[in-house]
Formats: sequence, C-alpha cells, structure tokens
Amino acid sequence: MSITENGLLERDKDTMTLNMGPSHPSTHGVFRAILEMDGELVGTAKPDIGYLHTGIEKTSEAKRYSHVIPMTDRLDYLNPPGNNLAFCLSTEKLLGIEIPDRSQYLRIIHCELARIASHLVWLATHALDIGAMTVFLYCWREREEILDLNEEISGVRMMTSYIRVGGVAKDATDEWLRGVRKFIEHFPAKIDEYEKLLTRNPIWLDRTEGVGVMSRESAINYGMSGPALRASGVDFDFRKKRPYSGYGNFEFNVPTRTQGDVYARYLVRVEEMRESREILVQAMRDLPGGYYKNPDSKVSLPDRDKLKSSMEVLIHHFKLASEGFKVPKGETYVPIEGPRGEVGFYIVSDGTAIPYRVKLRAPSFMAIPGMCKMMEGSFIADVVAVIGSIDIVMGEVDR
Amino acid sequence: MTSEEIVEKIKNDLGDDILSVEISLGDAVVHLLPPALPKVCEFIKNDADLDFDYLSNISGVDYLDLDREPRFEAVYEFHSMDKNHSVRLRVGIEEENPSVPTISHLWKSADFPERELFDMFGMNVEGHPDLRRLIMPDDWEGHPLRRDYSLTTEDVAFSFNRDYKSELVKSKPPTR
Repeated sequence: MSITENGLLERDKDTMTLNMGPSHPSTHGVFRAILEMDGELVGTAKPDIGYLHTGIEKTSEAKRYSHVIPMTDRLDYLNPPGNNLAFCLSTEKLLGIEIPDRSQYLRIIHCELARIASHLVWLATHALDIGAMTVFLYCWREREEILDLNEEISGVRMMTSYIRVGGVAKDATDEWLRGVRKFIEHFPAKIDEYEKLLTRNPIWLDRTEGVGVMSRESAINYGMSGPALRASGVDFDFRKKRPYSGYGNFEFNVPTRTQGDVYARYLVRVEEMRESREILVQAMRDLPGGYYKNPDSKVSLPDRDKLKSSMEVLIHHFKLASEGFKVPKGETYVPIEGPRGEVGFYIVSDGTAIPYRVKLRAPSFMAIPGMCKMMEGSFIADVVAVIGSIDIVMGEVDR
Repeated sequence: MTSEEIVEKIKNDLGDDILSVEISLGDAVVHLLPPALPKVCEFIKNDADLDFDYLSNISGVDYLDLDREPRFEAVYEFHSMDKNHSVRLRVGIEEENPSVPTISHLWKSADFPERELFDMFGMNVEGHPDLRRLIMPDDWEGHPLRRDYSLTTEDVAFSFNRDYKSELVKSKPPTR
C-alpha cells in the first residue's frame, strides 16, 4: 500500500479503478472522479467534468447585457446574487457609472443572505454525506426563511436576478425589511444549535480532523480560493482586501485557520456565517434612503408608474427594452468574494449592446485539481468528506 | 504596489520581452507574444516586489469579428496574496497553428484553464502534461468558443429544420 513520489501506486500491487460519480449523491452534482484504488486507499484521483455543460459563455455572446444576468443565476445556482453582482460590477466599470448608496446596501444585504443560504446548503449536505443527518433538516429550516425573503423582494425564491446593471430591480418592501430583521435576530441561536451538534462531536472530529490536508503553499499554487484558501492560513478576502460595493463601510472579521483540513474548512465557514450576520446587522442599521438605482434612464429602466404620463420616459423604456444600452469598447475583470471564493467576469466589449466575450472565473472550477490532490492517499470514505468540504457547484464548473 | 508602479517595473526589467504596457480602467496590463510568456511569468512570480504567487484566471478570446491582428488572445490574471495587487497579461496568438507555451509547471492552477483553451479555442498549449478536451466530449469536432462556430445549428444526422435554421442565421445576424 505504498505510494510512490508521483502519487501512483506501485505496479506490483493489485489495484482497482473505481468511478465515483457522475451520478452519485455525495459528489454534489455530476462530478466524476476516476479513482485508482488499492484496497480502501486512493492512489490517484483523476477528475472528469463537462456533464453539465450548457454553453452559457457562448450564449452570452448573442444576448444583451441585461439578458445575460438571468443566465448568471444558473452558473453558481447556490449563490445567484454573487454572480449577478460580479457581472454587473464588470459591466458598470466599463460603463463608468455610479451606484447610489441605497442600492449598494441592498446589494450587500442580498449577497450576504445568499452567502448564509449557500453555507447552510453546504453544511446540510456536507454533514449528511458524513452521516450527521439531523443537521440537514435544521439547516434547511433556516434556508427556507432566506428563500422566502428572496421571493418577497424579487418574486423568485432561488434564481433572483435582483441585482441589475445600475442598481437593483426594485426597492425593498417593509415586509422584507421586517423579515430580514427577524432573521438576523434569531439566527445566532440557530448557529449555536448546529455547532452543538457538530463542533465537539467526537465522531465528527474523527471524520474531519487531519483529513484532506492542504498546506498554505499548495493552496495558493493550486488556485484554491475562499474558505478553502483561508482554512490553509491565507488571510485573503476580496471584501476586506479590495472592498467593492461599499464593503469598506462595514466592520467584520475574516476567519482563518492554519490546519488546512476538512475540520478547519468547517470552522471557517461556520464563523463566516456569524460574520455575514454581523454585516447584515450593520447594513440594516445604516440602510440609507434615496433612490434604489442609477437614475440615468439610458442604463436602468425607468419607473413603471411614470410610463403613462411622460413621453420621454416611454421613449427611454422602449429604447432600453428593444435595443439595450451600448457599452464602451474595452475589457475588464472585477473579482468579488463569493461563498466559494473568487468570482469574476472577464468581459470584452466591442462597443455594442451585446458582450463580445464573457468569461467566468469560477472558484469551483479552479478548485477541482486541488481537491483531487487532497483525495490521493486517503481512504475512500474520506473522498466524500473532501468533496463536501470544498463545496463544489457543478453549474459553474461546466458552465 | 499601484498599477502604475507595476507596469513601470515590468517595463524596466523586461523591456525586450514584452510588446507594451498600459493602464486599462485602473488595471495593470502587459501585452506580449507567446515565446516570452514562461520567462515573464517566472519573473513576476519570483521577483520580491511583484510576488505574483496566485494565478486567478485564464480567458481565451477570438477577435475574428473585430478584424484584429493577431486573431486569438489568451488573457492571464495574477494576484499577489501578500502584496494585494494584480496584473493582467495579454498574449496575442496567431491564427495559423495557434499555440501558447504552458505555465502549469509554475502554477498547478493553470492545468484546467489551459485544457479549456485547447478545448474551446483549439489552441495548442505546448508542454502541457495532459492536453485533452476538458468540457466537451473527447470525440467532439470543432472548438465551440471560436467566433466562426455557429451558435444555433449543430451537425446532426437528421434534423427537419436544419436548412431553414441556417438560412435564418445567414439572413438575420443578431442585432447589435
């Protein structure tokens, strides 16, 4: 059962090739790993992706900017607001427009709620994979509240498309604000509940501590990002290091660990949920008044109630809905911090209303080679724990 | 370091290997040709002031419709984890036998995006240890993200409206 320097099992031993996936509940989508097994030990793990390829990048080259936004929802389907925001920030940088304070705050509240919802799905499925079934139902209970809030503000529970170029789709309702206040009030007690079930649970510790270890150097070299990078001791968070959308106005900590194992990634994500809640508290306290999107009717749709009384508004609405807005020539890339790590769109504009090239930097896509490296030399049962701890979403891997 | 300082340093230290530098919407951008890529990457990774230890993203672009020379481009985004600054390398690639040297010996994270360049644009990544299709099936023909690859029709054994659809595409290009 010895493993050679390049990670291969010695040839004189009997090995077995095992296909993990593509349709396996614990690979979190249609991910396939080809494992070379020696008994229960994994020798090499080779990733195979592409089962969920939908050609979103190609389709984007034939759609107007505002039509691309609903497609970005379907990339990382656990974090639609983050993808909307990344696409809008790149487009807004090319356009060179200002975003009012109120819409910045609404964006942040929406994104942080999505981050909590995404981490809840991760915790639920990750714990279920390892065998802790109770947590699954607890997490789904709180996620349901966030999905209800999404429905209240955008009309859709998951694929919200709430963040638009120039601001947000509509103003916050009183009911939504009440719902968010209620959620941030009782959420810390819920995190305590999950932690009571897991953090010092000896079975959980046995399954996660020292499993799937990645050092600081190889985490950087393999291009890991987000919680997987911070659990290996790299203090890097785009919200802190390069504040976008007004994250600079908020006080929050960036949780880091140095162990780099599955348990460290668990601790980082649970702490991140608490920090996201802190951001929500500050955002709700300081939510400024004013208009919720850029008032320039050349970019953002005018208010519907003015359509029947103002000819100019009608023209703007018609032009925007039928032709879209033209984006100046250029190319840009604006990285943001999603729940899984660095998300960003590299957009090339040729000066027309349709993007010339849209390329997504997907954190799960970049993390897969590193994840397979972690599997090598571990037990087959730990493969499930490693996949869960990286929290891959195949929608953004295959695009 | 600010973007200005980064491009200034790269221009001074690597003047012969690069084509030009620019500040594009606040980002440091370096233009170069494929043969110089490994040398430039090694320099920006190991230089103590630049310290670009993190490869974030590789994008391919096909400039066929814009009539720009050369036709292809590979765009590399780098960050520095400690210094917290970024740079973008834009490598112009010829239409004839498009090829670019690998940088996967410097960054393991280049493995997947370089295979994607091969898969989606048909670029030959010289020296890549495992250059296969990544997202499309192994027996797929063509490279989907090239601009001359049709979006609406695909070559199937039987389609009742293929002729009609291709006529439609010819007569009605997407409005721009």
